[in-house]
Amino acid sequence: MDELELLKKDWQSNRTGYPKLSYDEIYKMSHAKSSSIVKWIFYISLIEFAIGLILVLLNPKIEGQIEFPRWVEIMSYATFPVIGVFIYFFYKNYKNITATDNIRKLIKSILKTRRTVKYYVLFNLVMAGIFSCVGLYIGYVTSEGGVEQFSANAHFAEYATLGVVIVIVTAGIVALFYGIYYLLYGILLKRLNRNYKELKKLEV
Amino acid sequence: MDKELEHSFVEQLQKHQNIVHKVCRLYTNNQDAHNDLFQEITIQLWRAYPKFRGDSKFSTWMYRVGLNTAITLYRKSKRSIKTSDFDAYQFKIKAEEYDSTEEEQLKLLYQAVHQLNDIEKALVLLYLEDKDYREISETLGITEVNARVKMNRVKKKLKAILNP
Repeated sequence: MDELELLKKDWQSNRTGYPKLSYDEIYKMSHAKSSSIVKWIFYISLIEFAIGLILVLLNPKIEGQIEFPRWVEIMSYATFPVIGVFIYFFYKNYKNITATDNIRKLIKSILKTRRTVKYYVLFNLVMAGIFSCVGLYIGYVTSEGGVEQFSANAHFAEYATLGVVIVIVTAGIVALFYGIYYLLYGILLKRLNRNYKELKKLEV
Repeated sequence: MDKELEHSFVEQLQKHQNIVHKVCRLYTNNQDAHNDLFQEITIQLWRAYPKFRGDSKFSTWMYRVGLNTAITLYRKSKRSIKTSDFDAYQFKIKAEEYDSTEEEQLKLLYQAVHQLNDIEKALVLLYLEDKDYREISETLGITEVNARVKMNRVKKKLKAILNP
């Protein structure tokens, strides 16, 4: 007999004694807390949005101490509508995730939601990079007695040192955040990505 | 949500609970993980139930949500990763139907199925449940032709695992 037929016969027979759950047990289970991957992505994303907002809201305080140029100030306020758009798309994608879709569509919806968050994270990293560069430059110049004095005394070596410090510190900050996100989502979505690739492979 | 809806859901799930057990059996390696996945599928079924229109059978709908949960939504807990637990994870078989040769062969077959990837397991599950290729393709979101091709590959893969 074909092995799979033997397996099918066994599978369809009722000889495997699965536990029989009572009405009350099933009722309790259906009201338990979900630990689905979507919920995790949702929580992590909420934290990311919150961090993004906090960073923007904190800016005026920093500005009081360092005094950013006007264009940086405008840019920091312009991020609000951008964050709003991101939250809208994230929520829209999140609502589209439904357990009754077919497997391929469901994985696609989850990955799409994840992609929105990824773009948001990228946006935050770019903004953090810009603010870090400008902040470091202004901080350094101020400590040297202001722009005019710094320009009058600075030579190529000073400019080069400042440039290198700015690049290294900014790269460090951005790399640290990127590393955390990469690990977090890498672990969380490993299985999902693998299954999606497997399904995509079938379409070739 | 209203009590009537809740009551009809729990009643139907209780009646068809073996479907969920079968999905859990393929996707987990030990009893704790089985129970975890069973609970997550139950939660997802209940959430999706208000949208269940009844245009497909309740059991067909259960397969879809069950597989979706096992393949995409369920986060494997640490305790479910241990594959060494597999041998200990056996359901009771009625004594009068025990046949040692066949039993040994079945054990090897189930172990082979456990070595397949998530998508292949889904194909096997639907095949074992006698679902036609149209339903298999709809559940997975691939074409019927591709479902057939993949099923043949899975059969070959299983044979290769069993006869190395």
